[in-house]
Amino acid sequence: MDTLMSGQLLFAALVSGSLYALVALGLNLVYGTLRLLNIAHGDLVMIGAYTAFWMISLFAIPPIISLVLAAALCALLGWAVYAGLFRRMLAKPELAKRVEANSLILFYGISVILQNLAALAFTSTSRGYQYLDTVITWQGISMTGNRLLSLGVATAVCFGALLFLRFHLFGWGLRAVIQRREAAQVVGVNLNRVQLLTICGGFAVAGVAGVLVSMTEQITPFMGFPFTIVAFVVIIIGGLGNIGAGILAGFCLGLVETYGIALTSPGYRSILIYGLFVGVLLVRPEGIFTKAVRS
Amino acid sequence: MTVPMLSVSSLRAAYGPVQVLFEVNFDVLPGSVTTLIGANGAGKTTIMKSLAGLVSPTAGEIRFEGEYITHTASHDRVNAGLCLIPEGRLVFPGMTVEQNLRLGAIAPAARAGHSEMLAEVFRRFPRLEQRRNQQAGLMSGGEQQMLALGRGLMARPRLILMDEPTLGLAPVMVKQVFETIEELRAAGFTILLAEQNAKVALELADRAYLLENGRVALAGSGAELLDSPEVRRAYLGM
Ligand SMILES: Nc1ncnc2c1ncn2[C@@H]1O[C@H](COP(=O)(O)OP(=O)(O)OP(=O)(O)O)[C@@H](O)[C@H]1O
Ligand SMILES: [Mg+2]
Repeated sequence: MDTLMSGQLLFAALVSGSLYALVALGLNLVYGTLRLLNIAHGDLVMIGAYTAFWMISLFAIPPIISLVLAAALCALLGWAVYAGLFRRMLAKPELAKRVEANSLILFYGISVILQNLAALAFTSTSRGYQYLDTVITWQGISMTGNRLLSLGVATAVCFGALLFLRFHLFGWGLRAVIQRREAAQVVGVNLNRVQLLTICGGFAVAGVAGVLVSMTEQITPFMGFPFTIVAFVVIIIGGLGNIGAGILAGFCLGLVETYGIALTSPGYRSILIYGLFVGVLLVRPEGIFTKAVRS
Repeated sequence: MTVPMLSVSSLRAAYGPVQVLFEVNFDVLPGSVTTLIGANGAGKTTIMKSLAGLVSPTAGEIRFEGEYITHTASHDRVNAGLCLIPEGRLVFPGMTVEQNLRLGAIAPAARAGHSEMLAEVFRRFPRLEQRRNQQAGLMSGGEQQMLALGRGLMARPRLILMDEPTLGLAPVMVKQVFETIEELRAAGFTILLAEQNAKVALELADRAYLLENGRVALAGSGAELLDSPEVRRAYLGM
């Protein structure tokens, strides 16, 4: 019981929760505005992680700076995917109707390509590096600097995104597109620009998450898939396209996972995550926070 | 001769392989109310969407205040002063009344004066001010129609396209919508109105067009169409 009440456990739960929220944020933005099911989302996390690894190994550039580099690289990928694949599909109503189903297959292809390219270029040896890993103790909670940094950055990006959506005019346009695409066009939202910038932003956020993950976990070409799954679980729990609720759901999943494992054993991790997922789908298929929180 | 504010020539449009507009021609004069009437499926909404840039025409031309806008993006048309109040209202259901209205002024040309415009919309529709913090999706059909209208006005349009603003409304509300249209005309707005309520819409119209199967079957003043045997038989039940 003591461990359950400890700040240590809460810290661990917040670290993983904030990361889940961050990974899911990118996926949710892209799904909400473009109706694209980005099954390659986790692979962007992988790209972010490798960016951080190579930058620090080859050029001694610290992850703090790689956050920006990975974001830029993934945003560029987003631009390429939008301009090359989806712009025309989304512009034609006949194609746009099928874009959701088609995107799943297209992104599956992209995922396979990215994983194999990474395996070819970097081999499947798992990589890692050390950064800010000395233990700091505060109020009896032991934490490493990198986890603290991860929590800080992930939380800041999530709340930054929420503030942006609430107060910036572009954020209003984005929410309008999520709620009612055609009505957004009617009021004069520049749909093309919103879509492009959202896919760039959504991809960039995944890249940022990848840098954060790389500070504490092993990096392999195939590390992305579990993040894709977690991100889908989170946005389905929160409600598809509901940005604020998705962030809340990310933190909830972190809490359920961490406390669940503490109460049972690490072997139950998948059961906890999928159990919550199936439970939510059975009880509230529209997501648990859809009424309570509006993005 | 007045120069038309909007002129549509030889407009064709299709959904996939199905053509729904064939050679549609009409003009809208500045300061007028122009009415499009026609049975269900005649193509009124398709015309409105083509004008707003939500459907891209397969042929023909649309000219607004002298500029060809046939292939202009929808947000640029809003910014140029052309605004659609869509069929089915299409408010943002999860946002409040006030947020809906503010979104109406998202076009760059409308941003500067949006607070004054908000005050004006509230003056015109006091009901919206009473409900300013209510979720739009929870409002009645009539209130949502007012909101859609108010949201359109927020864009400071010179030409307002109204697609069946009375659809599904109770008679009292229908009357109010038509009164609002008259007020807007008096305030200097130009209006293109698509309506099923043929009688009132024609009484109000300076000019009117009868659409049949994607073609203009009859054109004239509102009074002329009201008197035509075709319209009387098919739309007024006389
Ligand atoms: N998205 C669409 N896909 C395919 N066909 C469509 C679509 N929208 C409309 N149509 C067809 O185009 C024709 C014209 O439709 P439109 O909505 O323009 O008519 P309308 O005059 O507005 O009718 P109503 O009075 O019922 O609103 C109809 O035959 C309709 O079935
Ligand atoms: Mg219609």
